[in-house]
Amino acid sequence: MLPVSTQPHPDAPLLRPIERPARNFYLIVGILLAIILYTGFVYLRQILFGLGVTGMAQPVTWGFYIINFVFFIGISHAGTLISAILRLSKAEWRRPITRMAEVITAIVLAIGGLHPIIDLGRPDRMSHLFFNGRLQSPLLWDITSITAYFTASTVYLYIPLIPDIAILRDRGVKPRWLYEFLSWGWQGTERQHKVLDRAMNILMVIVIPIAVSVHTIISFIFSMTVQPGWHSTIFGPYFVVGAIFSGIAAILVLMIVFRKIFRLEGYLKHIHFNYLSILLLIMSLLWFYFTFSEYLTGYYGHEPNEMRVFWYKFTGDFAPYFWAMVSCNFFLPVLLLSNRKTRTIPGILIASLSVIIGMWLERLIIIVPSLANPRLPYPTGIYIPTHTEWMLFIGGISVFILGYMLFARFFPVISIWEIEEGRKESAKIVTERISSYMPDPEPTSAGE
Amino acid sequence: MNKKMIGVFQVVSISLIWVLFAGIAVWIVNLIKESVRLHDAPDASVAISIVAILVFLVLASVLTYVFIGLRKGRIEDKETETNPVSG
Repeated sequence: MLPVSTQPHPDAPLLRPIERPARNFYLIVGILLAIILYTGFVYLRQILFGLGVTGMAQPVTWGFYIINFVFFIGISHAGTLISAILRLSKAEWRRPITRMAEVITAIVLAIGGLHPIIDLGRPDRMSHLFFNGRLQSPLLWDITSITAYFTASTVYLYIPLIPDIAILRDRGVKPRWLYEFLSWGWQGTERQHKVLDRAMNILMVIVIPIAVSVHTIISFIFSMTVQPGWHSTIFGPYFVVGAIFSGIAAILVLMIVFRKIFRLEGYLKHIHFNYLSILLLIMSLLWFYFTFSEYLTGYYGHEPNEMRVFWYKFTGDFAPYFWAMVSCNFFLPVLLLSNRKTRTIPGILIASLSVIIGMWLERLIIIVPSLANPRLPYPTGIYIPTHTEWMLFIGGISVFILGYMLFARFFPVISIWEIEEGRKESAKIVTERISSYMPDPEPTSAGE
Repeated sequence: MNKKMIGVFQVVSISLIWVLFAGIAVWIVNLIKESVRLHDAPDASVAISIVAILVFLVLASVLTYVFIGLRKGRIEDKETETNPVSG
């Protein structure tokens, strides 16, 4: 086995976590594995004893699992969608951000996609969907679109990773066979670059509609029923806006964490946080607009069943969660991000964490109150999540952290070749682009 | 692990995306057959299926294109190295 190259690399801070991992890396991995193992045991117990071990019962038959499913799939929009939009719009400041965002998508989709199976109680019944599914059911569309999004985002993550894998291979980083296997013989020739660029361009265009379709279809699970609080025509775009909103918040949190741990201040500069936080602010306003429209329409219709759910959220048992959601998703982020003095890294971190919590609460607010107040003459339902549900939630988060840590252990979290390319070509490309759309100056008398 | 072995594993890994595509296509065709048999809106099923199958086909094709393209790019590079006069 060849030793790790001692040649200094211009982007050494990006290679350091891979070539010289920190000592506490294994300690954290051990703790996370212990949590995941315990979660596995808790899930096994659920399989043995059934969904009776959860807080779900009639009429609230969807709880934490479906909340987390929608939440995790929402976060997944961080990556591929935002990365594809930034690449397509040729935003040069995207370069240190895209990889981090794409990794979120791949890991979170895998976690989120498993939640409906966990919710089944009897996972073997998944086979019914494969052999006797109805293609008219939004549940089937969900399976198809999530699988397509997962495949697309994994391919979209992998293809721009190839040149960086080749850098690690050439530096003799262990395990060398892994980098040799994954680099697909990359040598950085002109033809290879052309192939990579062409594939990236195709993927960018495909990924955006797939990502939008995923969350629209998830919203259909709710909006295509006549359940009060769910039957809404704006649920599709409302869910997509919420997903992008929570996704941006997740990227910002991860950027701040990695900047601190890996000392990436030279790569993740204040301007990156400033641009993304302004985007978060815009999404916060958009989210509020959709929420306002959604509830105003319901209130104006004043349909009795609809109003029961409405007041249950606004002044009833779920009022603390509802107002916490509005504060976390709107008041706090707008307050912090609209003021330049508070739009600092700590301020952005608080706003982003607040949005992540707020968006989780939004999923809770959408799902539980509607089920607790059905059209049928049932008494109002009660839902209190049990230890099993909390553990599966914590386990899901642990899998995400572990997945991200393992990725960062073996691959650079910031695209090295794109940074190099940016240093060499960005200024020239941007100058050419600006001169292509700026009007030519009128000839002045002095010039004449 | 030698280079030849790695090459074989690379070919096997790229063929997995086609296994996924074939699996999805077979599954969806099976669901269409079921909807025709039960007279359960087969036209809607066909419309949805066309989109789904096409997406997976494009993804598998892009990945294969990159795999083959990178290999061809590498071979050409080697040829120029061994025979710098050519071209």
